[in-house]
Amino acid sequence: MPDLHIVIAGAAGQGVQSAAAILGKLLLRQGLHVFTVQDYQSRVRGGHNFMSIRVADYPVAAAVDPIDYLIALNEESLHLHLPELAPRGTALCMEADRGRVSDPRLRALPDDIGPAGANNPKYVGVKLVTMLTEMVGFAKQLLIDAVRQEMGARLKPEIFQLNLEAIDATAHFVGDADRHTLPFRVDPAHRQMFVEGNEALALGLIAGGIGCYYGYPMSPSTSILNTLAEFGPEVGIAVEQAEDEICALNAAIGAAYAGARAAAGTSGPGVSLMTEAVGLAGATETPVVIIDAQRPGPATGMATRTEQGDLLHAAHCGHGEFPRAIVAPADHYDCFYLGAEAFNIAERWQLPVFLLTDQALADAQRTVEVFDDARVTIDRGPIAPEPPQPAVLRRYEDTPSGVSPRAYPALSKWIVSADGHEHNEVGHLTDDRANRVRQMDKRRRKLAGLAAEFAGPEIVGDADGVLFLVWGSTTGPALEAAARLRARGERVGVAVFRHLYPMNKDKTRAALAPAARLYTLENNGEGQLGQLLLLETGLATHGHLGNSDGRVFTVAEAERRMAETLGGAS
Amino acid sequence: MTCIQDFTGHDPQWCPGCGNFDLLDCVKQALCELNVEPQRVIFAAGIGQASKLGFSVRANLFNGLHGRALPVALGLKMANHTAPVLAVSGDGCFYAEGGNHFIHAVRRNLNIAILASDNRVYGLTKGQASPTSPPDFASRANPEGVGAQPLNPALLALVCGATFVARTFTGSKAEVVDLVKRAMQHRGTSFLDIMSPCVSFNKVNTFAWYKKRVRPLGPEHDPANREAAIKLALAADEETIPTGVYYQVERPVFEDHLGALRGAPIAERTLGYKPERVRPLFERFM
Repeated sequence: MPDLHIVIAGAAGQGVQSAAAILGKLLLRQGLHVFTVQDYQSRVRGGHNFMSIRVADYPVAAAVDPIDYLIALNEESLHLHLPELAPRGTALCMEADRGRVSDPRLRALPDDIGPAGANNPKYVGVKLVTMLTEMVGFAKQLLIDAVRQEMGARLKPEIFQLNLEAIDATAHFVGDADRHTLPFRVDPAHRQMFVEGNEALALGLIAGGIGCYYGYPMSPSTSILNTLAEFGPEVGIAVEQAEDEICALNAAIGAAYAGARAAAGTSGPGVSLMTEAVGLAGATETPVVIIDAQRPGPATGMATRTEQGDLLHAAHCGHGEFPRAIVAPADHYDCFYLGAEAFNIAERWQLPVFLLTDQALADAQRTVEVFDDARVTIDRGPIAPEPPQPAVLRRYEDTPSGVSPRAYPALSKWIVSADGHEHNEVGHLTDDRANRVRQMDKRRRKLAGLAAEFAGPEIVGDADGVLFLVWGSTTGPALEAAARLRARGERVGVAVFRHLYPMNKDKTRAALAPAARLYTLENNGEGQLGQLLLLETGLATHGHLGNSDGRVFTVAEAERRMAETLGGAS
Repeated sequence: MTCIQDFTGHDPQWCPGCGNFDLLDCVKQALCELNVEPQRVIFAAGIGQASKLGFSVRANLFNGLHGRALPVALGLKMANHTAPVLAVSGDGCFYAEGGNHFIHAVRRNLNIAILASDNRVYGLTKGQASPTSPPDFASRANPEGVGAQPLNPALLALVCGATFVARTFTGSKAEVVDLVKRAMQHRGTSFLDIMSPCVSFNKVNTFAWYKKRVRPLGPEHDPANREAAIKLALAADEETIPTGVYYQVERPVFEDHLGALRGAPIAERTLGYKPERVRPLFERFM
């Protein structure tokens, strides 16, 4: 068995996340690689929730379909997920929840197992996780350590003791016939991190020097707000929950003008409200990072599901013409490194930078090698040398690159005027015709310069085979599916786009030129990357493998869709 | 150069007789009397004739979007909590397009001064009703009158938890200078409601109309008494309009509750930020 797929399912409030966190901690401490996807509805209690936990002794970055172990915290979960259980899989539940299910793959735990004090629903999660860890051969002490690390500080001593006794009784119940030690190479000395996409992104923003962050609570961006607010006081990040997303981005722009590295985060509905201020950042040439953790639209869409439906909006939102940049992390490492880099792009080119992530990446928790902050640089772009006496800065000086040196107002002798109206070189409003043309040309030149330094897509696999174009969270499943297809003799590759806009035309054309055919694989219906590629480079794709159901691509699903383009012979 | 010249920016383009000329003189005078340096102060302006005042003061200026001066001011203070910030705009910008921001900026008690130049009409777009226009105010866009009740800015600020609320009239220049200074010296959000005549589009609330009605508050008014302040605000548009400080109390400012804002401004600390500042946080994910 190359990897193991565990699903923990139950109603909201039943402890699905706690059980998954304990298990995740145990696996992390064994040096194993874990990729976790949570599927939840936007409510606090009730509704069906599940966590999908994939474990391997090699890095994994995608979800898979068949379930090896199902932990069902209620009867509904059993019914919903048994059809996905692998033929040789095992389902675990309490006796009371088995209902009329008589599947030979089901192991039900007596409801009265453990001390009397632990015979209530609060202990179901820890008991069933114990069954699992016993069955796959992890020492009981590892589980106890994980419970202590994850919950020890939160539980009263007597409750913690009841947990230990419940673990003990359950461990004794598991029969020898159900014990199968997994062939994983464990490596407890291997120090890894276990992070959600949004946590990796927040850490990246911190490495990149963020000083001010603004957001209005909105799934799936809220965990960025929460993470930065939690670390804010000790690291020195001022975080504010704005009254709306309009305020959030205008405040970030104000903070950036005043010399902080500033970002505003939201999801698609909030980006719609921020659109006015995106243009303001463009006109005033204020460096700011806008994070769009995408969810399905339009309007309210589906708050806790995923989609890659905002790419063209990010590329074109805002009236008039002004430069902006779009980057998209393809995995958790990118969340960190590209999160930090986004500020450099913003400040070197003095424009708004969209960082597009999506729910599938934002909420997915995975093990990563400890991030290397030595790989992060901070480049604040051209800064005007201090004048001998207070003087008005030519903030919008016409330069060959289009970028004019900034100054940090109130920290410098420069007097800095930034203006959202068309303005002259000193930031004073004017409708003068020649000036208008000069300023528009100056701002437009930045786009050409930025495109020249942006990377083309990264090609993984056969560059001259059928090439699948991806960005964001579809990258993980696409890479693994393509590897499976290559293992079966197919000539396929994946082109991963991280610098999405402005596209580097030459590098992109060169990277895609050898391909036999091009297909986009995106979590949207219209193939937005393909449309942007056509607009930016003139290259047309042969088709789009899309998905508008709001769910994450699994490896099998990606593989099936990719195989269909290969003549159906797979 | 005299101090006033130091603060003299671009020539304003208002109609002759516009109350904003007087306000501009008073703002420059107040800055000089407070010994503020042009490169130290930041103006956050919105859109409208009143907000153009920012261009005519030689100082740092962020001239942003209609209604959004206060969100920009929030960002300015979080990046640099030591810089004096003045948010300057008019009734349409602060109360219509920016109404939501006004409510929450005042709630926050950010340490800024809000200079709201209220002429009860839209000047830049040529004469439409503003949120402070009376119900019978008619224009090409509102030929049958506004219908809605006028908003009461001082009362709104008071119920939102303002810690400094004052009203004045551009025709009372000494009072305007005094109140701009006191607004800037107050620690917290200072709301200065400035009645300013529009000579082109408001033929009712003229210079003479205001002059007849304004009455400076006497020593009998206690600015620490919120109920008394609310009563003054409710009395607006009666035959006399009280001017002066309606309300002033000390309350912790927004900047006090954020741990990240202790010490040097974030914008200054950012100059020394290194990527390794993130490293101590990794342990929590291991």
